[in-house]
Amino acid sequence: MTSVSRVLAVWLTPVALLAVPAALCGRAADGLWLGLAWALVPLIVLGLHAGPRPPGGRRDERGSLFPVVTLLLAVGVLLWANIALAGDVAVWLGAPRWQGIVVTALAGWLLTAWRPLRRTAPLLLSIALVAAVAPLLQVAWAVGLGPIAAWDRVATQAAFRFPPASPWVTTGRSLATAHGRAPLIFEEVHRLTAPAGGMLRARTLDATRPAEIEWTLAPGQSVTLRAGDELVPGATLRLRFEADKRVPGAPASGMAWAEVRSPRWLDRIGLLVTLLVGAAALLRAGLTLRFSRNGAAFVAAGLLVAFAWAQAWAVYAVLQSPDLFLGGVTLERLLEVPGAALFAEPGRRTLQALLLVAGLAAFLASSVALRERLGALDPTGGGEIGSDPGLWAGLFGGAALASLWPVDPWALTLLALGGAGCALGPAALYPPPPGRVALATTAGVVGLLVFATFAAAQLRGAGGALLSSAIGYPALVGAPAGALVLWLGRGRAG
Amino acid sequence: MRPVSTRSTGVVLLWLLLAGFLVLGALPNQTASIRLGGLSMLWWYGGLLAPLLGVLVAIRWLADPLPVPPRDE
Repeated sequence: MTSVSRVLAVWLTPVALLAVPAALCGRAADGLWLGLAWALVPLIVLGLHAGPRPPGGRRDERGSLFPVVTLLLAVGVLLWANIALAGDVAVWLGAPRWQGIVVTALAGWLLTAWRPLRRTAPLLLSIALVAAVAPLLQVAWAVGLGPIAAWDRVATQAAFRFPPASPWVTTGRSLATAHGRAPLIFEEVHRLTAPAGGMLRARTLDATRPAEIEWTLAPGQSVTLRAGDELVPGATLRLRFEADKRVPGAPASGMAWAEVRSPRWLDRIGLLVTLLVGAAALLRAGLTLRFSRNGAAFVAAGLLVAFAWAQAWAVYAVLQSPDLFLGGVTLERLLEVPGAALFAEPGRRTLQALLLVAGLAAFLASSVALRERLGALDPTGGGEIGSDPGLWAGLFGGAALASLWPVDPWALTLLALGGAGCALGPAALYPPPPGRVALATTAGVVGLLVFATFAAAQLRGAGGALLSSAIGYPALVGAPAGALVLWLGRGRAG
Repeated sequence: MRPVSTRSTGVVLLWLLLAGFLVLGALPNQTASIRLGGLSMLWWYGGLLAPLLGVLVAIRWLADPLPVPPRDE
């Protein structure tokens, strides 16, 4: 596999590809920052100097177990995130969760275990590109608006309302599929119908006193909520919403969606640092990459095309399916063809199949590339770690098992990037002198410990306003800690 | 001290492209929200201009120089 396709395949995982449009749908300006940083950071990392090489051009292999183990764990978490996304997609499309997980994990393992299929990443990336762009062009053609006109239409919407053809209006959907973080607060009177019945709980404002009400609805029975009422999270019954009513959790208007609010600077820097050190660990650590002009152009153009697709897909999705705001935008909803009324069957099913093929092809390409990446970092074993079917079966099996429980795939991806980045990133960007591998390991261990401390605080939901950015993006603290150790060690050596 | 190479120039330019987004977003009176041709200034810059310039920078400055052919003495 060429370095060029490996770089693109490692970076363009399905979770990353969908996280950008999801962020763009939720908060346009923040999503734009994520997309821009995501597209430019790999170029920055690849453009940095690799530092002095040991005499004779050989790597010092002592103490190289630490980066191999760290990267192995990071690859495992990345696989977990993507397989969990496959489970979410299966549930969203009405299939059992385990089916999406088994198909994805099995295909990934077969591709990494079967030697003749190991050089298929460029082909898989091409398939993903074609299969993702074709539905986008179809949607643009059906809507009859270019991306800029579609953005203008979204940004001038008075409110985001349920389209009459939305599945949330026609047949209803299980509330369990709306598992985003946004509260389900209603801004106007809204009648909800439970086609199959079930229990529903809501927090209401009775005069000025908050109260929690529980209804046991018979099949087909309705309940009316008022402005300010909120559905209590955790309900799993199927609900039908009213057409042309505001979507709970959506921005107040298109203008509110598009406006540039005062940014949270530390959050933006935290995201940038996480992506930077994560890219350094995944794309750079232990490797010497050399690109021709064509190679650099190919990587940059691939990232640009992915970012352009993400922007256009987000805009058309918001324009045609504003119901994706319900409960907060989640990744799996963006793998559905937007606009229930846009396409008739079987054209819609074909486009949906193309989107799934794109996601699976991107996952398989990234699996193959991550395996090769890991093998390239294992000089002592001659790359054996990248071609051990038992190890990879364990990795895919563990990731598949963990994916049975829903998790936030983007949070897992950031965890993998941040952890691997704090352990390997500083040494990859600021290499220690030849023969000082132990210094890189010490810096990596310190960076990883600091990262783990703040990540644990994130899991516990601790931290005040001052530390919220460091807890939200633990690499903001872990990476500088590792870099500081490297700098002090170099100073003592010098 | 490391020599300033074309790659260093490229990396600095890429950092500047990222910094430009932050500066534009921080301008007073929501300047970045001003619409030009149907799109906000922030989106013109962050969604179109900066990524395109990033590609040009990568092509022009990030590639390794071609190997010098051996000279026959």
